[in-house]
Amino acid sequence: MSSESSKKRKPKVIRSDGAPAEGKRNRSDTEQEGKYYSEEAEVDLRDPGRDYELYKYTCQELQRLMAEIQDLKSRGGKDVAIEIEERRIQSCVHFMTLKKLNRLAHIRLKKGRDQTHEAKQKVDAYHLQLQNLLYEVMHLQKEITKCLEFKSKHEEIDLVSLEEFYKEAPPDISKAEVTMGDPHQQTLARLDWELEQRKRLAEKYRESLSNKEKILKEIEVKKEYLSSLQPRLNSIMQASLPVQEYLFMPFDQAHKQYETARHLPPPLYVLFVQATAYGQACAHMKSSSQPPRQDKTLSVAIEGSVDEAKALFKPPEDSQDDESDSDAEEEQTTKRRRPTLGVQLDDKRKEMLKRHPLSVMLDLKCKDDSVLHLTFYYLMNLNIMTVKAKVTTATELITPISAGDLLSPDSVLSCLFPGDHGKKTPNPANQYQFDKVGILTLRDYVLDLGHPYLWVQKLGGLHFPKEQPQHTVIADHSLSASHMETTMKLLKIRVQSRLALHKQFASLEHGIVPVTSDCQYLFPAKVVSRLVKWVMIVHEDYMELHFTKDIVEAGLAGDTNLYYMALIERGTAKLQAAVVLNPGYSSIPPIFRLCLNWKGEKTNSNDDNIRAMESEVNVCYKELCGPRPSHQLLTNQLQRLCVLLDVYLETESHDDSVEGPKEFPQEKMCLRLFRGPSRMKPFKYNHPQGFFSHR
Amino acid sequence: MERAVPLAVPLGQAEVFQALQRLHMTIFSQSVSPCGKFLAAGNNYGQIAIFSLSAALSSEAKEESKKPVVTFQAHDGPVYSMISTDRHLLSAGDGEVKAWLWVEVLKKGCKELWHRQPPYRTSLEVPEINALLLVPKENSLILAGGDCQLHTMDLETGTFTRALRGHTDYIHCLALRERSPEVLSGGEDGAVRLWDLRVAKEVQTIEVYKHEECSRPHNGRWIGCLATDSDWMVCGGGPALTLWHLRSSTPTTIFPMRAPQKHVTFYQDLVLTAAGNSCRVDVFTNLGYRAFSLSF
Repeated sequence: MSSESSKKRKPKVIRSDGAPAEGKRNRSDTEQEGKYYSEEAEVDLRDPGRDYELYKYTCQELQRLMAEIQDLKSRGGKDVAIEIEERRIQSCVHFMTLKKLNRLAHIRLKKGRDQTHEAKQKVDAYHLQLQNLLYEVMHLQKEITKCLEFKSKHEEIDLVSLEEFYKEAPPDISKAEVTMGDPHQQTLARLDWELEQRKRLAEKYRESLSNKEKILKEIEVKKEYLSSLQPRLNSIMQASLPVQEYLFMPFDQAHKQYETARHLPPPLYVLFVQATAYGQACAHMKSSSQPPRQDKTLSVAIEGSVDEAKALFKPPEDSQDDESDSDAEEEQTTKRRRPTLGVQLDDKRKEMLKRHPLSVMLDLKCKDDSVLHLTFYYLMNLNIMTVKAKVTTATELITPISAGDLLSPDSVLSCLFPGDHGKKTPNPANQYQFDKVGILTLRDYVLDLGHPYLWVQKLGGLHFPKEQPQHTVIADHSLSASHMETTMKLLKIRVQSRLALHKQFASLEHGIVPVTSDCQYLFPAKVVSRLVKWVMIVHEDYMELHFTKDIVEAGLAGDTNLYYMALIERGTAKLQAAVVLNPGYSSIPPIFRLCLNWKGEKTNSNDDNIRAMESEVNVCYKELCGPRPSHQLLTNQLQRLCVLLDVYLETESHDDSVEGPKEFPQEKMCLRLFRGPSRMKPFKYNHPQGFFSHR
Repeated sequence: MERAVPLAVPLGQAEVFQALQRLHMTIFSQSVSPCGKFLAAGNNYGQIAIFSLSAALSSEAKEESKKPVVTFQAHDGPVYSMISTDRHLLSAGDGEVKAWLWVEVLKKGCKELWHRQPPYRTSLEVPEINALLLVPKENSLILAGGDCQLHTMDLETGTFTRALRGHTDYIHCLALRERSPEVLSGGEDGAVRLWDLRVAKEVQTIEVYKHEECSRPHNGRWIGCLATDSDWMVCGGGPALTLWHLRSSTPTTIFPMRAPQKHVTFYQDLVLTAAGNSCRVDVFTNLGYRAFSLSF
């Protein structure tokens, strides 16, 4: 039913079925077949503008009718009711028109809305489609970019260059005709070739490995063979020992020494090698040349424990095991008692000053069968060498009191070279090490460790540039070789001069100046002044003396020298002589300072003649040296002092104001008593005429 | 007692010998160059050292300025006296006098111009020449020394003209009195004698040791040094260093020097240099005040 369908669609539209149509209203031509009346179709046919005109006309009519009715009602009357009724019917009709128009308007509205809706839906559908397509486009673009960016693994492989490829590849791989034109094929071909090459190389590698295995096995076999050889050689060596001894060729002994020498630290090794070489060279020279040269025998030996030396170079794994054990032990002990800080420091010091277990011993034999024994040690942490010295003589020496220090191990080798006192470490880097463990100077330890003289370092090939600590100083053979001969000669001279002094001191202490026969010509026959005292004094006492100040100020009285006091007397005159004995005696002369006590105290500061006497022994010492090796210098100087005192006392001018005869009559023959502006006495003795003159 | 001890330098044989030489060195003579810039000093080893006075006295003087410019061996024996003429340096020691050119002497390896020996009486021992004196008016040189005589030598010809005798013991020093050309000589016999050169005779004798103010009997009577300024004379030696007025022959000022003096010079009336028994030359500015020392 049309009313039902229209109700479904538009429930608001109240349709009244079968409403009579007025004459003015147009009805649709296209009346649908069927039973229902479609106002929708009617809408399409009607013109909205006309409907709007109709609406306005209807409204106007209604207004007129209402106005007429109003008029009639206000007039009143009888006919009015019928008029009014008529008008009322007309207005009802108009109302019906209005209702229709309203309905039409609603339907139009609805239609319009429907159409808009439909169009909108269409647009939406298109929009969606557009978006889908855009999305797809984007996706495709991404895929394309991905494809374009794709790097094939084959591009990461470094292929051989094209020329090489064409040169080397066999034609069935390179396929030049095909590949030249087609880059894809070319790349494929190149990859093929690459694969081929790699296979070949892998093959070669496998072959080489197997070769290596084979060779290793061969080496093993040979090693076995050699190690089995060693014990056989040893047995041969043992068998040859008696033969060696028979022929006096102690190869084995030398060999053993060389074996031990291998474990020596480098400086000691250098010393050992150079000293042995020198000893052999000297022996060789002596036997080949007639007359024999310096009669020296130098023997070299190595002392000490080789095992300890080897122990110093234990491999780290072993020591680690030991460490873990010792750690465990240490923990136990520390629980019981912690070592004090002082003990720890002491241990550190001991560690720093540790000596290498091996030492080299040199024995220098001198002409009179006295021997200088030198033992050289190496201090490992400080990288310096020290030496301990001992002098033994063929016969037992009775040491005079004043000669105590002459041959003492501490000072016998002091200042072999000027300034080399051996109390300070020659390695400047040691100072930093000392600061860490609180050692001030090595001086306190030299008695125990030996003296680190500079010549010892040179013999070991160690050279420390002055005041510049270097990281490592390595032992240099050429340095040692260049110093060996001079040092050995100096050592020999030192020992002999000390022994000579030793003997002389014994005589001096008894008041006798031992002048040898070949030096007698230096002195007149009669010498009246006598040496009555000869004692050793200490350095501090020497410095306290009032007449030695200029020697001290000139820097000639250091603490490495030995000091003595001699007393020469004649009558009431007492001459004190303070002697500075340089360790470098006799190349460096002893220095005398005099103080005469006779009619007042006379020293060089108040008496020019005392000064001249000092000059006679100090400056003119070369005349008194005697025959080489000039061991007689000191005794000749003392004898000359006696002569000078004689001259001084005898030539003293008699003071007129004092009464009495001269104490010392002049017995010396002098040409003139005074000469020159300084009025010097004639101190120079002329041999063989026997008179005194001036210089 | 703590005393600052100088560091003992490691001394080799040569350094020790040099130090000993210096300790026992005596400077006997000195002479200023004609230009006044240099001082020559002679020592007991026969060496002459030339010092640059201008450098040593300048305000920027350092230690090196007080060392000699050049040192050379002039004589075999000690150089007892030296004197300068306007071009030459004359040095005398054991018996002979040598002449050196001042312009040459500053160069190394200088050789003497000439050397002369006066006629000595004794031949056993060569006497030393203790004093040299120039007499500009005569252009001659007077030498005196061990043989107790004054010898005059003509500088142009080199011949020895006079020999003045009078001293009983050897002569130490000479001085020239400008105005009346007289020579003063002091000797070991303790007398200062004045000689007139024109008549070659002794005119005055002053026996210094006989005057109590200056005599020091324990030192002896010898006169070691002498200098004169025509009216005044300063002399010393065994007796104390004294300033004398010549006309009246009286001592006026006595200088406080303990040791017997060896050499004294008037220099522009202000500076007196006197060398004692050491290797130093003491320079005095303002009488009696020691300014500094030049050292060999």
